[in-house]
Amino acid sequence: MVRAKYAIPGLLVILGLLAFYFFFPSEEKKIKKQFVLLSEYASKEQGESTFAMAHKVKNIGPLFTDKVRLQIPDYELSGSYPRQDIVNYALRARLSFSRLSLQFFDLVISFPEKKAATVTLTSRLTGKSAQGEEVDESRELSCVLKKIEDQWLFSDVEVIEVLKK
Amino acid sequence: MSPGIERIRQFFFPSLTRGFLLRVSVVAFSAYLFFGHLCIPIFIQGKSMEPTYRHGDFNFCWRLRYIFSNPKRNDIIMVRFTGTRVMLLKRVVALEGEWVEFRKGRLFVDGREIHEPYVRFPGDWNLSPRQVEKDCIYVVGDNRSTPIEDHHFGQTHLQRILGGPSW
Repeated sequence: MVRAKYAIPGLLVILGLLAFYFFFPSEEKKIKKQFVLLSEYASKEQGESTFAMAHKVKNIGPLFTDKVRLQIPDYELSGSYPRQDIVNYALRARLSFSRLSLQFFDLVISFPEKKAATVTLTSRLTGKSAQGEEVDESRELSCVLKKIEDQWLFSDVEVIEVLKK
Repeated sequence: MSPGIERIRQFFFPSLTRGFLLRVSVVAFSAYLFFGHLCIPIFIQGKSMEPTYRHGDFNFCWRLRYIFSNPKRNDIIMVRFTGTRVMLLKRVVALEGEWVEFRKGRLFVDGREIHEPYVRFPGDWNLSPRQVEKDCIYVVGDNRSTPIEDHHFGQTHLQRILGGPSW
């Protein structure tokens, strides 16, 4: 009886904490969610339908700010690009792969300003090109996300050179 | 119940005593420390180190390999990105201050050709001479059959070396 007396409030406290955790996520969690969404929208399964592709590509745009600074020498991307260009690049990249998976690992998040976050991470792109070639590339990235209308949006993406030829 | 059967039962279904829980905690913590930070299990993916290491091989990254010394030429090392989830497996071909170049697939360090018996899939790479910067090493994969543009190799900082494969 005594145990039950303490068990119920204890359970309620745990449930309350869990509810708080899920309904009021931390800024880090919100940022990680953006990476999960980007990974989901950029990735492509074999035999993906046109409808699914259009839906995913359409959702990539709102993850980015109006102007995005890219520094990706491997793909000859350097400078500031409008959001629509990012969508077009994503569409082109998806079309050149029959299967594509973009994953993000080891995110290190810092907040140099209240409404800006810097994230360094490892990205891994695997898949099969339309010509049947297997692709497996890993890169270290440095991204800046800005908080606009309570949404963390990608504003800078830069590849960090780990091996310099 | 006979003592033998009782002992077997105790082995598979132990009583949740304080001593047992303590032993389990110590084993779990030690395993986490050892396999999470000292000897990290890895699956090799990619063909850049073939035939020395093949795609799909299993190994461990031994983190203490370079704790008291720096890598030497011909050592195989692991280069980290942001964390330890993804790493590159490469061979050291040149050290700090040395000049490295490729001429028709042959490796030259400080102008002298380096004998590379581990290269079974040679290529025709050409790379103009470049000096390895301070606190850096130059790493390349053993499989040189891919075009030079597609092979991920080059100079990296010593701080990025995570360790070496266990075998």
